[in-house]
Amino acid sequence: MLGSFVNVITSNTFQTIAQNTDSCVKIETGLKAVGRPAFTLIDRNTDKETRKYAATKEFLYQLLCFGIYLAIIPPIFKNGGFKLAQKIFKKEGMPAFKNAKQMLAYHHLAYMTPEERRLAKNKKFLDLITEDLVNPRDNNAKLLDYLIGADKKSGIHKKTLEKQDKMFDLAKGSIEFSSIIGSVVGLTILAPEISHLILHPIMKVFRLKPENNTEEKTPAISNAQPQNLDKKA
Amino acid sequence: MSSFLYNKLKDICISLGKHNDALYAVLAIAMFKGVMRPTFTMMDKKSDPKSKKYAAFREGLTEAIAFGSYIATHKLVLPLAVPLAKKTGASPKKVKNGLSLLSVCLTAGIIIPVLCNLTLKPIMDGVSKFFNKKDPKTDSKLDIKENANPLPAMQVYSPKLSENSKNLLDTVRITSMRNYGMKVGG
Repeated sequence: MLGSFVNVITSNTFQTIAQNTDSCVKIETGLKAVGRPAFTLIDRNTDKETRKYAATKEFLYQLLCFGIYLAIIPPIFKNGGFKLAQKIFKKEGMPAFKNAKQMLAYHHLAYMTPEERRLAKNKKFLDLITEDLVNPRDNNAKLLDYLIGADKKSGIHKKTLEKQDKMFDLAKGSIEFSSIIGSVVGLTILAPEISHLILHPIMKVFRLKPENNTEEKTPAISNAQPQNLDKKA
Repeated sequence: MSSFLYNKLKDICISLGKHNDALYAVLAIAMFKGVMRPTFTMMDKKSDPKSKKYAAFREGLTEAIAFGSYIATHKLVLPLAVPLAKKTGASPKKVKNGLSLLSVCLTAGIIIPVLCNLTLKPIMDGVSKFFNKKDPKTDSKLDIKENANPLPAMQVYSPKLSENSKNLLDTVRITSMRNYGMKVGG
């Protein structure tokens, strides 16, 4: 039981997800979309209608966040940030990856054993690593040789990382850093503003309004009383 | 770009490339949400100032709970990595990474909503009471102003108006109210 649990959390797929900002934020937003409305519905402190309203609103808000995230992060911040980092760190000699996807595919394969890299399930990642990708800091050695080369270079990626230079970490880190910035911008600035424009009309279309909203009723009643009295007076 | 900024950025990227904890992104989101959402709420000119303050405080508090929960869960879960790795022979670093992601999932999906359900209402009630303590001062000031308006109502109590039976009833009612110290809006 414990062994299989550890096997799952140490598997390559789980490790790739855990090290990837994009996946982590997607999972977090997905869980929020389910967890928050569920617990709002359970909460007995408020009446049923208000709970329903709050849970639906929260669910729609998190869905919207998820949509904004999918639309903004991969094309703009992940790829854009990576391209920008390639320009900024040009003199560091980063391998000329065409895009963030290619870099992440290399990173995913780099932490496997050479045998694992050749498995059919990893072919989609291996196909992305083209022959022209070289490491300028290692006499233009082919990255494909690092991964599945027939000579001794195969499987030396870790050695390359630890001893030779940190360029692969720099490339991967630039993707993660721009993804974190994108997540913050998307989820803390864009999502509340867009939700303000979209959520209320949606709630109105589905006729979802809080029936027992005391906060709205109380001021109306208290305002009405003095007016009536003034008129009588 | 200055060399200081360049080196800082390079260090951050290398560090994130080496080890990108699932916690970093969620903490950054919670922290900025905790600042930005109340700011946006307070900037909304259409809302009532009291409601704005309440909503902004509530939003800030929710994110503060989220921020604290992520750190607390992470601190509680990570020490389990070494014994787990020793027992199963797995790499401690990999176990740590896995547990970190699990703690984020657990916190986002269960711990934060539960904590918010349990703590938000009592805290907000306390805050409301605190604000309401100040309200009677403003209310009493308003009452003084409002008392100025009902004064003409005293004319209803004049003998001229008491000829009408309807006005007489009103007079009796208003007199009794005055005797019991009732105020407009009191």
